[in-house]
Amino acid sequence: MVDRVEKNSVRTVLIVEHEVLVRMPIAQYLRECGYRVIEAVDVNEALTVLTDSPLVIDVVFTATDFAGGPDGFALTQWIRTHRPEVRAVMAGTVKRSAKIAGDLCEDGPMLQKPYHASDVENWIRRLMAARDADST
Amino acid sequence: MAGNPDPTTDFFTLPARSREIRQVSTSSQTEAPHPILVVEDEVLLRLDLADQLRRSGFHVIEADSADEAVALLEHMHITTIVTDLRMPGSIDGRELVIWTRRRFPNVKIIVVSAHAEPFGQAAPDAILSKPVRFERLLQTLRQISPPAEPT
Repeated sequence: MVDRVEKNSVRTVLIVEHEVLVRMPIAQYLRECGYRVIEAVDVNEALTVLTDSPLVIDVVFTATDFAGGPDGFALTQWIRTHRPEVRAVMAGTVKRSAKIAGDLCEDGPMLQKPYHASDVENWIRRLMAARDADST
Repeated sequence: MAGNPDPTTDFFTLPARSREIRQVSTSSQTEAPHPILVVEDEVLLRLDLADQLRRSGFHVIEADSADEAVALLEHMHITTIVTDLRMPGSIDGRELVIWTRRRFPNVKIIVVSAHAEPFGQAAPDAILSKPVRFERLLQTLRQISPPAEPT
């Protein structure tokens, strides 16, 4: 199983996002900013990580809406109650996701952005546009 | 837009400096030039495997289902897949293998599963039984993956 991480050595972000073409670029960007990034596709997976994994999670970065299950609001409420030491941030749009990622990067272990968060937003939009074009 | 043929249009090219940020492996692993796609629906298994691969110097992308894997394969330049077979979704891991063989025949495929499935002519490059020893997976990746490009 994954080794327990010293809290101040590498900071860990748990991303909770059901859309893989949004989740992957955000996760990639935050890894390049020096974070250890854990990916969950919904709130149930996030709760499994928070309760059953030995990893120390510093930040939970969650979408707001998840089809057919608990939403980001429920997750942040759970965190406030059961893991008050964990910082929870919610993103409702691609633009906000990229901005939050950029802010986390500035506060992150590397203290310097490898590239601008607007590049992340553009990458996500390009991926999703390509997917939408493929499906028509 | 096809994911694999043209990395300049569908794969975000990282600035050269960012490559230095990746964790340096203590082994003799040579980092794969393109990401390994790990497909596993059980989140703790997925994060453990992805974490071990990253610690070994690989660039890893994660999918929790065959459906997510298809979306990533269509729009990313991926050369290797490590996949479970039995996963919920509109298609399962076996169908992912068959689809990938047809759509992207150059992608290397390693199946990691507790179950045996028939693949016919669309057989993966390797099949490892769960629970898989990580060293065994590394050995298999070295055997089937294309050589890394010089940096």
